[in-house]
Amino acid sequence: MTATLTHTQAEQALIDALDGATGWRAQLREVTQREGLPTRRHELWKWSDLRRAANDVSGAGRIDVTGLDRLTSPQDGDRLELTITASAGASAADETLVVPAGASLTLVETLKGEAGSLGNWHLTIRVEAGARLDRIVITNHDADAVFVGSAEIELADGATLNQTMVDTGARLSRNETHVVHPGHGASVDMGGAYILAAGRHADSTNLVHHTGPGGVTKQLVKGAVASGGHGVFQGKFIVDRLAQQTDARMTHRALMLGEKAEIDAKPELEIYADDVQCAHGNALGTLDETALFYMRQRGLPEAKARALLIESYLAEPLDRVQDEALRETLKASLRARLGALI
Amino acid sequence: MLKIQDLQCQVETQDGEDKPILKGLSLEVPAGEVHAVMGPNGSGKSTLSYVLTGRDGYEVTGGSMAFAGEDLAELAPEARAALGLYLSFQYPVEIPGVPTITFLKEALNAQRVTRGEEEVTAPEFMKLIREKAKQLNVSMDMLKRAVNVGFSGGEKKRLEILQALVLQPKFLILDETDSGLDIDALKIVSDGVNALRAPDRGMLVITHYQRLLDHITPDVVHVMADGRIVKSGGPELARELEAEGYDKYLGEAA
Repeated sequence: MTATLTHTQAEQALIDALDGATGWRAQLREVTQREGLPTRRHELWKWSDLRRAANDVSGAGRIDVTGLDRLTSPQDGDRLELTITASAGASAADETLVVPAGASLTLVETLKGEAGSLGNWHLTIRVEAGARLDRIVITNHDADAVFVGSAEIELADGATLNQTMVDTGARLSRNETHVVHPGHGASVDMGGAYILAAGRHADSTNLVHHTGPGGVTKQLVKGAVASGGHGVFQGKFIVDRLAQQTDARMTHRALMLGEKAEIDAKPELEIYADDVQCAHGNALGTLDETALFYMRQRGLPEAKARALLIESYLAEPLDRVQDEALRETLKASLRARLGALI
Repeated sequence: MLKIQDLQCQVETQDGEDKPILKGLSLEVPAGEVHAVMGPNGSGKSTLSYVLTGRDGYEVTGGSMAFAGEDLAELAPEARAALGLYLSFQYPVEIPGVPTITFLKEALNAQRVTRGEEEVTAPEFMKLIREKAKQLNVSMDMLKRAVNVGFSGGEKKRLEILQALVLQPKFLILDETDSGLDIDALKIVSDGVNALRAPDRGMLVITHYQRLLDHITPDVVHVMADGRIVKSGGPELARELEAEGYDKYLGEAA
């Protein structure tokens, strides 16, 4: 109906930055031109107002991706480490990864949005038959960054996706994962933790679409949010009529560490098959005061006791990471943010 | 060593009202002595253990409590712990995700740092905890598990005493330590407590039943009713209570 849309400076900056782009980036440009950046009025963005968060962004930015050299022809057993850095201004980058049949790969993505950035990062991934991908995403954004990471992951029969995400937030940090899950021996385990200090926002939005029978999906996301922080969890499992005997479980749990902590969660199941086991759970709580007292009675200072409780709470989804060094890196990135929360 | 004078304490009830629990309690435990506090349910025994150790929500409204010459009411729970005050909880708390051994090492070193002492090294700590665990029949495997998570009632109580053996507090408050213990576990726990008896250490044993006092012989027994000490005497007082019940003291307190 609306013939013309007045673009904000951030929208114009993104459109300009993507002039002449192809593929996914061209689509991003087109949708931005047509609809602008998403706002609260978009159902999928109702808790993450991207247009508002990007208000101060102007001009074209740079997005640098290091570690790309092995992405095009990965070998079994490879560990690929990408660092994606968005400088001030609007920018977008995308890449494609295919995990060859039977191969096992580890992909570590570190996302860094600098102050004043509107960074967009997109991965298209296909995990071939019997292959396995361990995908780790760590954010390390400036408090004044806006960054949207997204991945479309398609699994073949018998493929395994183990994804673990640690988000420490930004002015707005959003990570979307869309998985097409064929069942037939394929399995998905998507975990994550977020820890948010005042002024930081993290949004974990996920969709797992089960298209064939016998699929297994597990998702455990845990968060801790201080006063003035904002956590968002949107999870959706779709189970097609053909996807009988799907076993899919989604759990989101989070700690509100102050009166002005904000957490919004929407776990959804959309099931068209009649012989499935699907469940979702969502629980918000506060730190266990009884446990805090117990720890202080043994001599631990209050701040230390709080830190230990939060850390152990968030560790659960990270304990599924098999590589010990990697698991420690993830925990260390959480630990580094604990001080700002207590 | 522990000197409580005319202590008054109130707690906030669930509907937000202040309810007086301790109504002028006086008690003194010199170093080297073990005192028992016995009383019926609702007399304020657990409140006494929590107000002494500084739990939130237990507000002192009058009187005083001093330990080793320090006014306890002024101190945070962790400062009281570093002074040497130890509470063995009636219901030990589960701390998922924190291995017992890590927790205990952190606690010991936090106390030592507060007291201006050197931290113990990892090998020193392992030697210490191995020795004490053996004494209480606690396996090292159990110590690797998260604090109190998945432990039986008896295991939790043994772990409370094990922690005391490692932390070596100057004063122990045992809150219903005998509850949930079978006869074998009661013996192990009592032996642990008796091993902690020392000329420079005091103890307050809070219990509903005399049973525990067969194993840990107190120097003095206090009867508590309606937030006060209503009678004090020797160990024979505990046996008298076991035979006759608390009825006559409930009358006196009213």
